[in-house]
Amino acid sequence: MADGIEEAANSVSNLSVTNPPAEEAPSKNALKKELKKKKKEEENRLKDEEKKKKAAAMPQSQKPSSADDEDMDPTQYYENRLKVLASVKAAGGNPYPHKFQASMTITEYIEKYRVLNEGDHLKDVEVNIAGRIMNKRTSSSKLFFYDLYGGGLKVQVMADARESDMDEVEFAKYHSGVKRGDIVGICGYPGKSKRGELSIFPKRFTVLSPCLHMMPRQKAGPGIENASVKKNEGKMASDVWVPGMTRNPETYILKDQETRYRQRYLDLMLNHEVRQIFKTRAKIINYIRDFLNKLDFLEVETPMMNMIAGGAAAKPFVTHHNELNMKLFMRIAPELYLKELVVGGLDRVYEIGKQFRNEGIDLTHNPEFTTCEFYMAFADYNDLMALTEEMLSGMVRSLTGGYKIKYHANGVDKDPIEIDFTPPFRRIDMIEGLETMANLSIPKDLSSEAANKYLLDACVKFDVKCPPPQTTTRLLDKLVGHFLEETCVNPTFIINHPEIMSPLAKWHRSKPGLTERFELFVNKHEVCNAYTELNDPVVQRQRFAEQLKDRQSGDDEAMALDETFCTALEYGLPPTGGWGLGVDRLAMLFTDSQNIKEVLLFPAMKPQDEPLTKAESMENKKIMSGIILVSLLKDCLYIHFREASKDRENTLLICTIVEIWILEKTRLASAQIFWPRLISY
Amino acid sequence: MDALRVWRASSHFIGFASRAACAAATSRASVSVRIRCCSSSSAASAAAAAELPSTTVAPANPGRRGRNSSSTSDRESIRAIRLKKANSFPSQNSSFFSYEESLLPLEIDDELVEELRSKGHEPYAYKWTRSHTACQLQDIYSHLANGEECKEDLVSIAGRIIARRAFGKLAFLTLRDDSGTIQLYCEKEILEDQFEQLKTFVDIGDIVGARGSMKKMEKGELSVCVKNFEILTKSLLPLPDKYHGLTDVDKRYRQRYVDMIANHEVADVFRIRAKIVSEIRKTMESLGFIEVETPVLQGAAGGAEARPFVTYHNSLGRNLYLRIATELHLKRMLVGGLEKVFEIGRIFRNEGISTRHNPEFTTIEMYEAYSDYQSMMNMAEEIVTQCALVVHGNLDIDYQGVQISLQRPWRRETMHNLVKEATGIDFDKFKNNLEAAKGVARGILESRSENNDSHLVETCPSVGHVLNEIFETIVEPTLVQPTFVLDYPIEISPLAKPHRRQKGLTERFELYICGREIANAFSELTDPVDQRSRFEEQIKQHNDKRATLVSNSKYVEGENTFDDYSYEVSLDEDFLTSLEYGMPPASGMGLGIDRLVMLLTNSASIRDVIAFPVLKIQH
Repeated sequence: MADGIEEAANSVSNLSVTNPPAEEAPSKNALKKELKKKKKEEENRLKDEEKKKKAAAMPQSQKPSSADDEDMDPTQYYENRLKVLASVKAAGGNPYPHKFQASMTITEYIEKYRVLNEGDHLKDVEVNIAGRIMNKRTSSSKLFFYDLYGGGLKVQVMADARESDMDEVEFAKYHSGVKRGDIVGICGYPGKSKRGELSIFPKRFTVLSPCLHMMPRQKAGPGIENASVKKNEGKMASDVWVPGMTRNPETYILKDQETRYRQRYLDLMLNHEVRQIFKTRAKIINYIRDFLNKLDFLEVETPMMNMIAGGAAAKPFVTHHNELNMKLFMRIAPELYLKELVVGGLDRVYEIGKQFRNEGIDLTHNPEFTTCEFYMAFADYNDLMALTEEMLSGMVRSLTGGYKIKYHANGVDKDPIEIDFTPPFRRIDMIEGLETMANLSIPKDLSSEAANKYLLDACVKFDVKCPPPQTTTRLLDKLVGHFLEETCVNPTFIINHPEIMSPLAKWHRSKPGLTERFELFVNKHEVCNAYTELNDPVVQRQRFAEQLKDRQSGDDEAMALDETFCTALEYGLPPTGGWGLGVDRLAMLFTDSQNIKEVLLFPAMKPQDEPLTKAESMENKKIMSGIILVSLLKDCLYIHFREASKDRENTLLICTIVEIWILEKTRLASAQIFWPRLISY
Repeated sequence: MDALRVWRASSHFIGFASRAACAAATSRASVSVRIRCCSSSSAASAAAAAELPSTTVAPANPGRRGRNSSSTSDRESIRAIRLKKANSFPSQNSSFFSYEESLLPLEIDDELVEELRSKGHEPYAYKWTRSHTACQLQDIYSHLANGEECKEDLVSIAGRIIARRAFGKLAFLTLRDDSGTIQLYCEKEILEDQFEQLKTFVDIGDIVGARGSMKKMEKGELSVCVKNFEILTKSLLPLPDKYHGLTDVDKRYRQRYVDMIANHEVADVFRIRAKIVSEIRKTMESLGFIEVETPVLQGAAGGAEARPFVTYHNSLGRNLYLRIATELHLKRMLVGGLEKVFEIGRIFRNEGISTRHNPEFTTIEMYEAYSDYQSMMNMAEEIVTQCALVVHGNLDIDYQGVQISLQRPWRRETMHNLVKEATGIDFDKFKNNLEAAKGVARGILESRSENNDSHLVETCPSVGHVLNEIFETIVEPTLVQPTFVLDYPIEISPLAKPHRRQKGLTERFELYICGREIANAFSELTDPVDQRSRFEEQIKQHNDKRATLVSNSKYVEGENTFDDYSYEVSLDEDFLTSLEYGMPPASGMGLGIDRLVMLLTNSASIRDVIAFPVLKIQH
């Protein structure tokens, strides 16, 4: 029976939305039901008016319903709901009660009463539960069914006029005003339907907070979707998603990414798996905290706003303190402050917190992100590698029960891969590894011109792109990315980075030119970065000076000198191992997320595009077609000239210049846009 | 300061130079040292030290003593000497050699020309394995009788040398690590050659690792009888004078690490802070709350009334604000169906600094569905008492000489009653008569407060604001014992739900201890229509205030007053939309962690509980 109604509702919701609803063209297969419904709506509307008059007499909670909803224009639906709200208020009612004393959560309710037999009704038990209505089915004016959700789980509400404190007329009126999305409090007794569905039979039913918008509804679709929805119904945690399992947001009720990320609360309401992602994230952070606390680490907080943004190489956010008239940078890493605390005698410190980088937004980058950094006096990077293995494998085990997780590394439409966190993790020596993999023999002195030249040639040879500035550091980074990181699917340490890449790491005790550093890669992405800390102030200043050189040669990601920090080193930093971990990246791995936005409650989003006016979009089309024409022209020119001259490079250059010239002349685009392209020739 | 800068530069130069060419560096360094030294004694010592590399150990001793006598008076020379010591390794024109050098153990012992590094003692060691911390040793071996030695146990320890007494064949060092201090007893007979090294190279401030057996001295001091030791990190700067301590307040905050080395109890504040935060977390989690992270960078800063920091995101090409509260995002979580959430996080307000204010500070905000502000009061009591018990073990604490009893239950009184109690005036009687209220308030403020604050009420747009001014000036400082101030006027509580019985009031409380606001909570406003009009009213008030301040120059006391309102307040449409989807009845509370830590650590200033507070630019 319920299914029939569901079907009808679905077909109704599929109708094209017009305004006003009365003039709507009914669809063939739902015609009869539609008419019936209309009639009922009409009745309801009449009743409403009656009720509005009556409302003053009945301050508690009469909620007149407007037209029955799903086929209505969202704006009108909203306005109707607002009107209803206003009328309740005008009558002295409070549509937002102050408090509902829930005696248990829905999760606890299910846990407690799932053992009931089919048909059991515990009439002498009284429970109070509250949650959000995600589905409403009207059986008759005396019987309404609701799906009540809380904590990601569902309980059926069977509101029967005979059980209610209200009389029949009142009951019918009240319940016709209850909408999908409303938050309600129910006082009733537990029971199971004959079909075995755990339910609650309300004596009192109160709307605690009405939902004014039409809830996005699940469209009737292929069987998979229904299956995925059914998964959560009335069942316990056993078949709910757990970390390490795969996830497919394509099957969610609310699929639109923009809406999911911008209105996360809708995502959480409709896609029950999503709350598990954020619970997993909280668990990851708790695990790290416990792990470090057990080792006697002290959690500290260091400033997020500094005079100098140090400790990493990245563009910082700039802000201004008005009263002190002071320019401040948002931190890009807490490293320098934490080391100062180690100088001060806190031998083991850590901080879990936000870092900020003024960089673009993509699948793995958000302008603010969470890291954990810890510093451990008297330890070196070998100790930290062992700790890392212990922490991560332990974490995977506590989250999933095993060492292996499934991950859609190649997109949700491909088969997931398996990532194995069984310790020990593989180790690759960076330079040696690179030389073996690419069959290179890199000059030992990496700071030399020769090394730069050699690596530049290697990049050209293997077709590894490295946009300028082509410093040795960046060239190496690209080559390592190409040859080594690509092989790091299971957790792998890449160790012993060259000094020029690691201005804060200590020189290697036995390998000249290298540092005692490691990065942990999982699924080809960097998760951890750690080193034996450089604590020689003289060498540290030297390294900063070299960074400055890189900065001057155009690498604005080189580090700035922090005088306060260097002074701190002069007071003596004990031999220390320092370690950083990207919490978001880890959360992505364990929740099978390919996009960092999946694991951030409120990811940074591009400003919503204001819909273009017609004139503007016409203009845009003209420009686009203009550009296409010109580039076609260029291609013709190119083919023509190439025949004549045979000099490929120059021909292309000339053609591009012609293209830009035309574009500029026709004001289709500013030549500035093309400068990078020109330079790349 | 400038002189110091110059000096630093030149001392680096020495550092580099000595690496570049040993012979040249030696002479150049000694010349520089001579130039920089102020007192003759340190000049002598510097000279001696500078000559160290080329002479035997013996002449180093007088130099050593000389340094001691001038240890705080002339840090520049000490830095030079120490740098010299640390870097006195042979000619190395590329840094490569040093690694090889550092690998060599004591083989080149006889080449006394090169000091530390050349002796195989890398002045910046890689690692040290400790068997115990100082505190553990003190506990384990406390049973030893005076003069008794426990020869069979070999212990290993590391830390900073904070005191040093050296005699002919004996030396006593005091070593401090994270947990406490312990004495190192060094005898020439045991250490043999290492003893001279120790006397020559180990200075106060150095970080040293030592192995040996445990012995209680005749006088009862538990010590490690050092069998061997290693300098782990050479300190280049002298520690502040032990007796006078670090008295320069500004420097204490700017160089927190020096403060922590010199005053051990400073670090205790941060240990307690960590304990408090962890206790709060434990309490929240045991109640089923889940911790979430909401954004710091926001398109519109809402949830409180404060000037936000503005920054610019390059690739988005737009201004972003640093959050001034976590409230609006956490409430969205309630809408989404997470019924109990909290966030411990940093909040930023672009306001002045004082003993109670730092531009960035830490709060916990918590939200619970299906509860109201009464339950939040219990929560506040629970959290604060739990933390007090963890820190002090009891609920009677001392704050800056004032005894405070945290025994539950705490006093709960409405704002109106408190004001009535203090002034005899019942603000209820004014209803909406703003002018009458202002008149009375002016009278009270003129007679009661020392510095005439009566102008404060002039700009108040409503009776609620007037009441609040009176409360803040007259009542607030008197609320020493924990007090919940209840039921704030609706005009000053834009996010709180109207009171279920009293018109014009909200279900809101603030918790005061020692005259300071510790927590702020309300039954959350869930009505989107009401919320929108409250926001609009708030914006109107803000703009009015701004307008008055611009036009009415007599209230512009310097630029600051004017500045206070020169920022834009915008409506958070996204938040209103989320409310329209329905938020369950809920209550929420924000609690200032820094202030709680101040209270429980008996710290007078917020700067004492923040490791690196924001300070004015140094001149």
